[in-house]
Amino acid sequence: MIKVTQISKVYNAGRPNEFTAVREVSLTVNLGEVTVLKGPSGSGKTTLLGMLGCMVRPTSGRISLSHREITSLPERFLTQIRRETFGFIFQQFNLIKGLTALENVMAPAYPTGEKFATLRSRALETLALFNLAHKAAAKVEWLSGGEAQRVAIARALINNPAIIIADEPTAHLDTKLSHEFMAIIRQLKDDGKTILIASHDPIVYDSELMTSRIELRDGSVVTAGSLP
Amino acid sequence: MILNPSILALLISSLLIAFMVLYSALYGAQILRRWDITSGSELQLSLERKTYLISTILSYFLGIQLISLFLFIFTVDSLSPLFVGAMCAVGTLTVNGFGYPTLLLKLVNFILAGLWLIINHADNAGYDYPLIRKKYLFLMMLTPLILAESTLELFYFLEMKPDIITSCCGSLFSPASRGIASEIAAAPVIPMKIIFAVTMGLTTLSGTIFILKQRLGALFATLSGSAFIVSLVSLVSFICLYIYEMPSHHCPFCILQREYHYIGYPLYACLLLGSVTGMGVGVLVPFRKIPSLSATLPGFQRRLALTSLISWLIFTILALRPVIFTTFRLE
Amino acid sequence: MPHTIEKQRHIIDFTLASLLRRRGKNGALFTVYTLIVFILASVMFFTYALKEEAAQVLKGAPEIVVQRSLQGRYAPIPLEYAAKIRGIRGVMAVRPRLWGYYYDSVFLANYTIMTAESIPLPPGSIAIGHGISRMRRAYEGDTISFTGVDGKARNFTIAKILPQESQLLSADLILMNEDEYREFSGLPPGLASDLTLKVRNPKELTTIAEKIVKALPDSRPIIRNEILRTYDALFSWRGGLLIIIMSAAVLAFVIFAWDKASGLSAEEKKEIGILKAVGWETSDILFMKFWEGMTVSLTSFLAGTILAYGHIFFTSAALFAPVLKGWSVLYPVFRLTPFINPGQIATLFFLTVVPYTVTTIIPSWRAATIDPDSVLRS
Repeated sequence: MIKVTQISKVYNAGRPNEFTAVREVSLTVNLGEVTVLKGPSGSGKTTLLGMLGCMVRPTSGRISLSHREITSLPERFLTQIRRETFGFIFQQFNLIKGLTALENVMAPAYPTGEKFATLRSRALETLALFNLAHKAAAKVEWLSGGEAQRVAIARALINNPAIIIADEPTAHLDTKLSHEFMAIIRQLKDDGKTILIASHDPIVYDSELMTSRIELRDGSVVTAGSLP
Repeated sequence: MILNPSILALLISSLLIAFMVLYSALYGAQILRRWDITSGSELQLSLERKTYLISTILSYFLGIQLISLFLFIFTVDSLSPLFVGAMCAVGTLTVNGFGYPTLLLKLVNFILAGLWLIINHADNAGYDYPLIRKKYLFLMMLTPLILAESTLELFYFLEMKPDIITSCCGSLFSPASRGIASEIAAAPVIPMKIIFAVTMGLTTLSGTIFILKQRLGALFATLSGSAFIVSLVSLVSFICLYIYEMPSHHCPFCILQREYHYIGYPLYACLLLGSVTGMGVGVLVPFRKIPSLSATLPGFQRRLALTSLISWLIFTILALRPVIFTTFRLE
Repeated sequence: MPHTIEKQRHIIDFTLASLLRRRGKNGALFTVYTLIVFILASVMFFTYALKEEAAQVLKGAPEIVVQRSLQGRYAPIPLEYAAKIRGIRGVMAVRPRLWGYYYDSVFLANYTIMTAESIPLPPGSIAIGHGISRMRRAYEGDTISFTGVDGKARNFTIAKILPQESQLLSADLILMNEDEYREFSGLPPGLASDLTLKVRNPKELTTIAEKIVKALPDSRPIIRNEILRTYDALFSWRGGLLIIIMSAAVLAFVIFAWDKASGLSAEEKKEIGILKAVGWETSDILFMKFWEGMTVSLTSFLAGTILAYGHIFFTSAALFAPVLKGWSVLYPVFRLTPFINPGQIATLFFLTVVPYTVTTIIPSWRAATIDPDSVLRS
């Protein structure tokens, strides 16, 4: 469970270009839920997602994860929690060019110091889950859009996180691939993962998979609630 | 001043290091004044990032310091032909008053930087930066010492006036009677042997007790510190004599040369590692009660103690091997 | 512990792979780095080897040489000086030496002529160094002609070619009988070029030298150790001076390194951002940068050092021998004896790797502290 109380994020504080990306937001995300953050671009979705995912420290307010206060943890602890708890899927896939699909999937697990052989076999299994076993040795820049999307998801899953965070995952996908993506989300939901998606794509936020929806505007929550 | 590549190398690197340490001390001071763990302000975030920079600089400093310690002795040794009466590094170090203080500060700073990194490592394992103030106060104390070392080293080399003839066909009477002490006075052999054996024995014993029972940490650290001094005195007093197989050659630097199979390098490396890690155990003892450290500190201290113990063991074996196995006898 | 090692292995693997991925940028850095190491290492190996060579030569030299100085210049020394010096306490033996130079105007080379003492030569014959032998294509049994002090040519039979092992010492040497040398060079009987002394106790060298000057005010005693010391200072000084001149190059290199390290491409920045976003921590990136620096430094250092070694000891410092050496033309195949010690390597390391490393600390740290959420915001 992620619980945030009154969190704000201010950039360039005290300077003329001071900018409040998120303003005193409080919300709770329960385990097993699929939550969508909805709102126009610039509404603070991404910043909020970053704070929920322990990537960004809030300027004020508190975040607790499974009843553990994590707001003022030093970066190395926060990173460890992030690595173990969250899997990230980014807007532009953000795969590392020049590396193979397999290496991209393995990268998040390098700092854990897992034995290379076991890590490699786990990564191959994860790729196989998405029908990508034959592409393991291919450089990511040679993959098709759909394949790259699935490699990015496989990477998000390599550390076996409880929570998946996706930021505008369908922004660069056509309709067919977007539906394919939602099928994968369904699969993950069935596996018991908690899922948080920021999106302003109707295919995502109108999907029947969503169990709750939070609508943001200008850094504040407009509506929030469970979906039937 | 002697224009010699090694001197230039030492001065350039010490200048760079001094600059970097000063730079990190400025941020250290900022951390001391402005640190607020509960704040999520941009200032706090940037200070937290600075801690990475400072510990990186100190880590590099430690590595460079270790090599520079040996390069310093090597350089000083290789300069000895330039001074009448200087047979090796000992003679060159006494050509002016800055030689030995420089060497001493180099040793002290190495140990202090090592201890700083140990504290830093312990602090990093706590989720609330429990030692941040102590750590940076320590840095504030260490910085002037490092700057002093660089200054002394600079003066030492600047003040060097070699005894050379002005043209290679002329002759100049070098003041042979100026009397550079080429040999150092040494402590008496038999009491020193006993003290060495007792210190090493007690250090090993207390280290073992600490590893097994987590007790006597402070004692072990004190003994490690004493072992450092006792070992240095013993090297001069008898260990070197056995290595050289000469009854009056006390120089602790010649063992770094090829004639003695570079035995000095592992000896001094073990000596330094053993004392830093051993004293590190003691430095951490008062922090064991801090809640955020109580889980990680004992394990870290045990690893330190183990490293220290192994270093001392290797040192003792290397030091005593020639004493036991040569046919050379002092008494 | 084992997982710390495994983690570092992963980071090293990753670093090596990303170094290879950016061949262009790292290749340029590697080339410049290697070049700097190569130049500095060449200077150092060369001056050290020369110094060592000079020390080897002087090892066989007498402990004290006494010359006479007339009008502030060198002059032949009367043999009766030898008797006076022999009377000084502590002097074991005094031997006059006869030697001089001979300029061969055909081959434009200077030879050293000495009187033969250890090698018995039949009248009219000489021994020559192999340098002269090779140059004049004269071998054992041949007759060779030199012009004496009176302008008349004299023929000598070559009785022996001196062995090659001590090149610097004997390549340009001609050994002659004493009376033939006096006749050839015009040095009158009763005079010698200089005197060599054997001393009982080396600690008394300076005392004896002082006594000699007191007894014979126009004599100049030269103590071997002083020559050695002067050589030492001279060669170190030459090396040091060159390194100061080259510090401009090192500085340029350091600026170049700073620029390379801080001028991260957008792609690199993005890559670090991605790594941090997916779970790498600042110190992991710092380790990555550390290994990157180590790899570049150590490979360049190794390559530069090996190249310099080859340059100095196999090609006889082809690139800058003319600047530093300046001996006679007689040594076309003059090879320096390899002489390297750990101190030289450490010095080289401190002149190149340490400045590079220190320079890249801050840029590396900047790179490592890129916000993990930068990939979200892009």
